[in-house]
Amino acid sequence: MEHTYQYSWIIPFIPLPVPILLGVGLLLFPTATKNLRRIWTFLSIFLLSIVMIFSLYLSIQQIFISCIHQNVWSWTINNEFSFEFGYFIDPLTSIMSILITTVGILVLIYSDNYMSHDQGYLRFFAYMGFFNTSMLGLVTSSNLIQVYFFWELVGMCSYLLIGFWFTRPVAANACQKAFVTNRVGDFGLLLGILGLYWITGSFEFQDLFEIFNNLILNNRVNLFFFTLCGFLLFVGPIAKSAQFPLHVWLPDAMEGPTPISALIHAATMVAAGIFLVARLLPLFIVIPYIMYIISLIGIITVLLGATLALAQKDIKRGLAYSTMSQLGYMMLALGMGSYRSALFHLITHAYSKALLFLGSGSIIHSMEAIVGYSPDKSQNMILMGGLTKHVPITKTAFLIGTLSLCGIPPLACFWSKDEILNDSLLFSPIFAIIACSTAGLTAFYMFRIYLLTFEGHLNTYFLNYSGKKSRSFYSLSLWGKEEEKKLNKNFGLVPLLTMNNTKRSSFFCNKTYKISNNVRNKIFITVENFGLNTRTFYYPHESDNTILFPILILLLFTLFIGAIGIPFNQEGIDFDILSKLFTPSINLLHNNSQNFVDWYEFLRNATFSVSIAFFGIFIAYCLYKPFYSSLLNLTLLNSFQKWNSKRIRWEKLINFVYNWSYNRGYIDAFFKTYLIESIRGLAKQTNFFDKRIIDGITNGVGITSFFVGEVTKYIGGSRISSYLFLYLSYVLVFLMILFFFYFEKF
Amino acid sequence: MYLVFTTNDFPWLTIIVVFPISAGSLMLFLPHRGNKVNKWYTICICILELLLTTYAFCYNFKMDDPLIQLSEDYKWINFFDFYWRMGIDGLSIGTILLTGFITTLATLAAFPVTRDSRLFHFLMLAMYSGQIGSFSSRDLLLFFIMWELELIPVYLLLAMWGGKKRLYSATKFILYTAGSSIFLLIGVLGISLYGSNEPTLNLELLANQSYPVTLEILFYIGFLIAFAVKSPIIPLHTWLPDTHGEAHYSTCMLLAGILLKMGAYGLVRINMELLPHAHSMFSPWLMVVGTIQIIYAASTSPGQRNLKKRIAYSSVSHMGFIIIGISSITDPGLNGAILQIISHGFIGAALFFLAGTSYDRIRLVYLDEMGGMAISIPKIFTMFTILSMASLALPGMSGFIAELIVFFGIITSQKYFLIFKILIIFVMAIGMILTPIYLLSMSRQMFYGYKLINVKNFSFFDSGPRELFLSISILLPIIGIGIYPDFVLSLASDKVESILSNYFYG
Repeated sequence: MEHTYQYSWIIPFIPLPVPILLGVGLLLFPTATKNLRRIWTFLSIFLLSIVMIFSLYLSIQQIFISCIHQNVWSWTINNEFSFEFGYFIDPLTSIMSILITTVGILVLIYSDNYMSHDQGYLRFFAYMGFFNTSMLGLVTSSNLIQVYFFWELVGMCSYLLIGFWFTRPVAANACQKAFVTNRVGDFGLLLGILGLYWITGSFEFQDLFEIFNNLILNNRVNLFFFTLCGFLLFVGPIAKSAQFPLHVWLPDAMEGPTPISALIHAATMVAAGIFLVARLLPLFIVIPYIMYIISLIGIITVLLGATLALAQKDIKRGLAYSTMSQLGYMMLALGMGSYRSALFHLITHAYSKALLFLGSGSIIHSMEAIVGYSPDKSQNMILMGGLTKHVPITKTAFLIGTLSLCGIPPLACFWSKDEILNDSLLFSPIFAIIACSTAGLTAFYMFRIYLLTFEGHLNTYFLNYSGKKSRSFYSLSLWGKEEEKKLNKNFGLVPLLTMNNTKRSSFFCNKTYKISNNVRNKIFITVENFGLNTRTFYYPHESDNTILFPILILLLFTLFIGAIGIPFNQEGIDFDILSKLFTPSINLLHNNSQNFVDWYEFLRNATFSVSIAFFGIFIAYCLYKPFYSSLLNLTLLNSFQKWNSKRIRWEKLINFVYNWSYNRGYIDAFFKTYLIESIRGLAKQTNFFDKRIIDGITNGVGITSFFVGEVTKYIGGSRISSYLFLYLSYVLVFLMILFFFYFEKF
Repeated sequence: MYLVFTTNDFPWLTIIVVFPISAGSLMLFLPHRGNKVNKWYTICICILELLLTTYAFCYNFKMDDPLIQLSEDYKWINFFDFYWRMGIDGLSIGTILLTGFITTLATLAAFPVTRDSRLFHFLMLAMYSGQIGSFSSRDLLLFFIMWELELIPVYLLLAMWGGKKRLYSATKFILYTAGSSIFLLIGVLGISLYGSNEPTLNLELLANQSYPVTLEILFYIGFLIAFAVKSPIIPLHTWLPDTHGEAHYSTCMLLAGILLKMGAYGLVRINMELLPHAHSMFSPWLMVVGTIQIIYAASTSPGQRNLKKRIAYSSVSHMGFIIIGISSITDPGLNGAILQIISHGFIGAALFFLAGTSYDRIRLVYLDEMGGMAISIPKIFTMFTILSMASLALPGMSGFIAELIVFFGIITSQKYFLIFKILIIFVMAIGMILTPIYLLSMSRQMFYGYKLINVKNFSFFDSGPRELFLSISILLPIIGIGIYPDFVLSLASDKVESILSNYFYG
């Protein structure tokens, strides 16, 4: 067993060969690499499964003998400083690596189909492999420098993947925004690390905690500086986990491909912030005020994310704001000191949200064939509706995910969210009220998304949107110019799942195939195809099995992952896997009495939270069910007003909330007007200063000397007499000065 | 005290310094066949020189010895005691190897140059000699001569093969640098004539000499101005964007890769080593200037329309880290500065190379006219993305570790107050936020989007094997240093210690 730990440094390096080989291959031997495309996918899935098995083994070990393993190697040695690299295996690490690898494998399988018609298929897998490597490196890192190292690498992967479709200007802006916002967080993180190093002289987690506790006990440090360092350290997680002031990048990050949104921007990378705070919780607990700041930021994010999610038109943006809100819950839990429930929610939310994102990807994939390939159309919930009939399996999965996120009992998120709500009740009543009401809001907006997408009839054909349906060449060429359509037969998993194989080939693939094949010789048929397309109604199809398989697996996870946190009454001792894992590092500040679970209390709290969720669902149902054909929120509001005409104030409030949400809380606009414009202005001003003043002096000196020369030339006029005159006058001046000094001396 | 020079049996350094320029002058006798002969001849000379340098250093340089090695000492001019003194130590070995590497690659990058290729390649080789000479000279006057020797090739390269405003920028360059050389000369003469009847120019002897405080400060200011122009330190930087904006990209590679480093090298070699008291007096001000420089250049950069000028300002910003590292007077700080010298040599050269190659294709200089080039030149896009990541100090690349160590240098420095350190670090870290803004927006404006450029022949060639080889061979050391920084740090660490020991015991 000991040697297993010894070899666990290899965890981050196992997936690394794929991106390296792919990168080298794509640069040097593009055709050969592209011919092997499917093999690369299999290879990366295979390597990631090895990591999964390995980390599964590790965490099983951790359950029985919970201990921390650490090993470091020096990276740079100097007599004054040394950085070390190593691994640090504890329950948190093993849980996180299981999470990363399971979601990662499923997303890889999913994206094999999702991206199969993309020209950048291999580039995508290279980025994904690199992301997996750096994320695993992040969770296994043993000191703060190493955390920072991988923290930035993860951010870079996110940058590359958001800007994956680089021809889209929106994506280009989004990826830059994400990187710069994350850099603001890194700025804080780096300063915090340096500050801590200055105080303690160490980067290692264990040493850090010990030295810190000693210092606090002996009262030998400036508390203000302490708190400042803690806060700066917390800025990193704020940016990475999309907490309140720096959340602006997350919704824009949805410009990336959907599998990425599932893996990076819902399940793993955004959870890195939570991970870091959890890792450093022993540190944060001893610093005064910082826990309040964490929980305050958390609760603001919870509320803000939920309100912003209320009126999003884009399905992925809605989900992104929901992710933000849920991350706020985790941050809130950490701020309250309930380590266990935060991580529990991290796990359950990761699976549920990955399920939702993969489901939305499947929907987008099938909608694209009908409305076009621009994300404004294919992800627009207003154009969806009534998809229940057409995509039943995705619908079921999405519904389960939605219910789980709303907190309906047997599903995953219920267990964890319920715990957080309970803890917040113990922590502070105001926070509890906000958290509980936001649970209702969560149910509302999730069901709004669900109802707009799946209930009613397909809105595309009811609205006069067909005029806008023209597919621009640019979006078409982006998504697929694949010459050969590869049949997805070779999946060994396919026979296991009995599905409607007749509809397997999706509509779009067929069509492109025809176009690209018929352009040369059968032009008429192509035209006919197009004509056919506009006249008859095409309905979305269920996606391929390769897409559905990961969704179903995640569905299972969503159904059963809650079990790891449910206390089993076994042999008189309450026992659940999660507590078993987190016992040594558990840091419950306030409710130590949690050890013996009071079933009555649990039931009471659960009933309360479930009823709130049902209330939210009910309102969503009232608002959105009858008006499935409504195009804009305004019409919806009008009808709402008719239905309930008495309450003008209420309507105003709702209007305000919708405007608030639709304009993203005016925060983006605020940042744009103040921050970006001021930086631009600063750039202009410094540029002006540089050009006119600093450079102006130089040029001025040059021009002056030029003029002086010209004047001399003019005065001289190239006559000997004037030169002689000048010469003699200089001599005279010189003599006079000499004379003057001579007299002065004597 | 008289140091006995144990001259090695073979004058390696003299050969290394003299070989390129003498081989370059042999180019005159090559047949007038065309450019191909000149090109290949120069490339062969460069590679031979690089191999020679590596060989000599591999077998004759001992890492753990902070003293001068491979030293040579020949009397050159009798009547005023002028010696041909050469020698390397941990400080200069890295820069000499960098020079060899970058110059070879720059010659490779200059393949498309066809006009007057014989002169062009001769100038490249002359510059090679001048640079290695100034890095390896152990005599102040020899240092000055080599310093001047390398200005003339740059001036000619700029004035003959530059862009539209080449004469303006070449004149600006030569005025700035020649003007600063006056201060260098004054300093050299002043130091050498102080205190004795016959001039002492030997750096070893000078390092142990002490001066009256005012005189030391005067010398320091003189040298500082000379090196501040070269480095550049604000407000003496305006020659750099103009020069870089107009020069051919192979010249740019040399300028950004090596020439700027000569300023920083001079700061360490002369200002730190010879004038320790003045340096510790000036270092807080230098630190402030360096911090302002990081922010100032990083915020000027987004306002530039010209692609190369934007990269040029990014180099100015990165030079700020070197200045801060030098003026922190700590072991990590100086190590970080030296590492940053090497690392920015690679990164800056590579960025200019990529900007130049993409300019060769689209023939557009201004960023707002470009766009959507990623589709047609994906390989250049990839390399550009990787290198701009390297430039914004992504971990795993050399820039990150250099900047991190500089940060440590400030933190561990005993010299400054806490508040001062906090302020400096805070402002430096703001520069860390500004860097991605200009670098990434540059990459976005060039490559992202789908804007079709109004060029008749829209289809560009992606980078060929030569360009790919070039950019990958610059990239490899960047990643190598980033992953295993001891590679470079171990070269200089002993020398750094011996320099710093002056400050603690002197």
